Amino acid sequence: MPGMINHLSPLLVFLLIIGGFFTEPSLAGPSHPGDEAQSVPALKVLHLDMSAPETGFDPVLTSDLNTAAIEQQLFESLLTYDYLARPVRLVPRLAAAMPEITQHGRQWLFHLKSGVYFAPDPVFKGVKREVTARDVVFTLMRFMDPKNRSPYRFLLEGKIVGLDELARQAQSTGHFDYDANVAGLQIVDRYTLLVRLKTTDYNFGHAMAQPMMGIVAREVIQAYAGDTASHPVGTGPYRLARWIRSAHIVLARNPNYRHEQWAFKAGADPQDQAIVKAMQGKTIPQIDQVDIQIVEEPQSAWLSFGKGELDVLGLSGQFAPLALDGDHLKPALARQGIQLARMSDPSIAYYFINQQDPVLGGMTPEKIGLRRALLMAQNDTEMIQVMHKGQALRATYPIPPGVAGADPAYVSLLDYNPPLANLLLDRLGYRRGTDGYRRQPDGSPLVVRYTTSLSSQDRELDEMMKKALDRLAIRFASEKLKFPEILKAERQCQIQFRLSAWIADYPDGDNFMQLWYGPHTHENNASCYQDPQWDRLYEKTLDLPDGPARSALYHQLARLLEINGVTKISTTHIRNVLFQPWVVGFKPHPILPSVWSYMDLKPASSGTP
Amino acid sequence: MGASNPDLATPSSANPPREEEYSAGLWTLAWRRLRADGVGLISLGVVGAYVLLALLAGLGWVAPHWSAEVGTHYAPPSWMGTSAREPDFATAPQPVWPGSVDLYGLQDPLADLLARIHTEPGASLVLIEAPRRTTLPLGADKWGHDVLAKTIQGGATSLQVGLFSAVLATVLGTLMGALAGYWGGKVDDAFNWLYGVLTAVPYLLLVFAIAAVLHQKGTSTLILILGLTGWTGVFRLMRSEYLKHKSREYVLAAGALGASHWRRMFLHILPNTSHVILVQLSQNVVGFIKSEVILSFLGFGVPVDAVSWGSMLNEAQNELILGKWWQLAAAGVAMAVLVTAFSLLTDALRDALDPRLKS
Repeated sequence: MPGMINHLSPLLVFLLIIGGFFTEPSLAGPSHPGDEAQSVPALKVLHLDMSAPETGFDPVLTSDLNTAAIEQQLFESLLTYDYLARPVRLVPRLAAAMPEITQHGRQWLFHLKSGVYFAPDPVFKGVKREVTARDVVFTLMRFMDPKNRSPYRFLLEGKIVGLDELARQAQSTGHFDYDANVAGLQIVDRYTLLVRLKTTDYNFGHAMAQPMMGIVAREVIQAYAGDTASHPVGTGPYRLARWIRSAHIVLARNPNYRHEQWAFKAGADPQDQAIVKAMQGKTIPQIDQVDIQIVEEPQSAWLSFGKGELDVLGLSGQFAPLALDGDHLKPALARQGIQLARMSDPSIAYYFINQQDPVLGGMTPEKIGLRRALLMAQNDTEMIQVMHKGQALRATYPIPPGVAGADPAYVSLLDYNPPLANLLLDRLGYRRGTDGYRRQPDGSPLVVRYTTSLSSQDRELDEMMKKALDRLAIRFASEKLKFPEILKAERQCQIQFRLSAWIADYPDGDNFMQLWYGPHTHENNASCYQDPQWDRLYEKTLDLPDGPARSALYHQLARLLEINGVTKISTTHIRNVLFQPWVVGFKPHPILPSVWSYMDLKPASSGTP
Repeated sequence: MGASNPDLATPSSANPPREEEYSAGLWTLAWRRLRADGVGLISLGVVGAYVLLALLAGLGWVAPHWSAEVGTHYAPPSWMGTSAREPDFATAPQPVWPGSVDLYGLQDPLADLLARIHTEPGASLVLIEAPRRTTLPLGADKWGHDVLAKTIQGGATSLQVGLFSAVLATVLGTLMGALAGYWGGKVDDAFNWLYGVLTAVPYLLLVFAIAAVLHQKGTSTLILILGLTGWTGVFRLMRSEYLKHKSREYVLAAGALGASHWRRMFLHILPNTSHVILVQLSQNVVGFIKSEVILSFLGFGVPVDAVSWGSMLNEAQNELILGKWWQLAAAGVAMAVLVTAFSLLTDALRDALDPRLKS
């Protein structure tokens, strides 16, 4: 789901609790560890942290992992992924069953569950509002409304019969007609929707499982027009109870949530048995509140977890030596009952260079050579060892392991090679000036601007880049922006050079390759790479299922990105998640950004102090 | 030597000089008093040594290559010996020659150039890593920088920031205080209003606000930020000094003799407030060194190609948790010693310059 990962490792981070020990005073009333005789059971509160601020809760407008994790709980999409199955498997969420797919993947017939109600909101004037097929159509249309400039427009663009035409019409008239009849979105009856696609697309089910595809109500969106990001009203197990921007978010049970029972089947993983045993048959959700603090410094999160103030901790690389011996938990932590879940993320960290930048962009051999030299000067081995403390893998291919289309044996054209990078720059006319730094071939100054966020880990990124540029004798300039501002600048093609990250929205290579598709500029194509040759090859892959033919094209696409000096794939992260002894039923999911409604907490009396 | 303070001159004239043929001036007397103050002298020596070291480091004569990676990852201090448990990090693998990589049928616009480079004699394409030391006198940081060299260079940055921003703040505060105190009335009101506004905002918040507005990192930015926010204390004191002095007889006499306002303000009154200025200056140096550390610690400080004690302490917060304490210790001790010495020196200066305070 969530696309962008914040910075490198503190990627996925969620967090914690204190098994009902401490509860939000204002929400939970007094509760004291010794007070077991209390007649009202203490609320179960899951305490978590997020490594970057949220960007607002209108699903159509957001694209970052942290916000997606919250939206996953507030809203519900038609489909979702099974909690325990690996490799991941699509299952129905708001749909009553898996869609009936006909005409070689061109027709998708969805039946909705009946009796699903939106969370209460003043807009509904006290009436329980049921979800119907019309809401699904409205939700899908919103992605194509030019006014929304949705970063996830690509999930639907060019896919649904008649929808693109409607979007084009809106572009010219300035008004998107939500009442229009779109041939590809046919409402069969109150609970049935027939989607007609322009071409074969077996990935459409993945698109319908994204958290940003959570169904919204038209009257809510219209009532809060302009401020929809602060008024999330969905059908999910939780609703937004408190929100202090960029600081504190509390989710509480959605009183209108339908009755759902925990009924996932154990997979091959031996830990699954215990999870099923603990959770089988329980009502979803078991946890009453989710309390999320924005904690940008990994050290603060680590210390909070150590004190039991966080229930789950995404272990950032720099703290791995404290908690892990190799790939095992340190005995001292294991003795405390702390648990470890470990997996390679379906993610990549990748350098990108803005192809429209006046200094670094352009397709002349000088510019291509400069970009390739910049990318060849990056020492990813050192980054893995020093910054990530070994908790990452060197990646060379845009598609990470665990995602359809991956190729771990791919050989990079842009291996770490400062001597060659320097020779290239010498031959291409980037001469050193009297100050020892290189100039552009026309003699004007050459400064490379690298953008990072504000944490101490970002300072390490700056230091790595400074070292890399020193190897080439190129001047370094640092640009510091808050993470949401970086995303905004990327969409405006204003970032020159950055190490970005992407985690699979859905486990197919297309979700990664689309990051460089020309028409996705101003959406997810942060390098603003618009190359007809590349785009044509990419478009060919869209008609192909996963297999050797598509893989051959993907290899050309990956190579072309390197040849043109657009991107260098850097690392794939290993996700280490620690959780407290009182956390029950937790298993990190490679695709779902949050699984809070599937978890439970042991009551406070059995927790440790 | 030029200062003639009637108040301060009195004690010396009561005590007739033996060797000098003339009455000793303010500075001579102050120096005599300072010399008699053992703690003050030692502090002066310590501060002098720091300044000298900072000067040499700034000129590149001492620790010029602090950014060279001479040690291994977190090499421990020499006296601790090599820790056998520290994993030996592999160096980067030898790169694959781009010419031998499968291009999947695509054209590389740089192919010809690469082929020429490949056949060039003498073009070495082998990655050679210089050998690194496993221990260093004060250990190494995560990249293998020598912590001793970093501490010295960091001290140069911190002192530079402290001294220059203190001078800026003192000059600003003195000027505004002089104008406000001497002229009074609307001028005074205007400066007081500015003073009131600036002091009403919590100090660090104000500093952050200015840092956010300037949006540019660098040592000179830091000096500007601290100087522009730090003048308020000096202003308050100088204003009251000028209020007091402007109606004194010697100023009135100067006015009667036809001295211009400008002359009265800066040639007559200013020298008589110099003890206040000097003490404020040194107090500000201490304060600003600490502020720089706080700012750098919070990530608003020096840029990535510079090192200061603050940036070292910032790095140290994550190292300490891993048990790598040497960078924290080096920067912390160096700063504690300087700040303490500077504070003691300030006390001694105040005593020496303004003997009335001694009682």
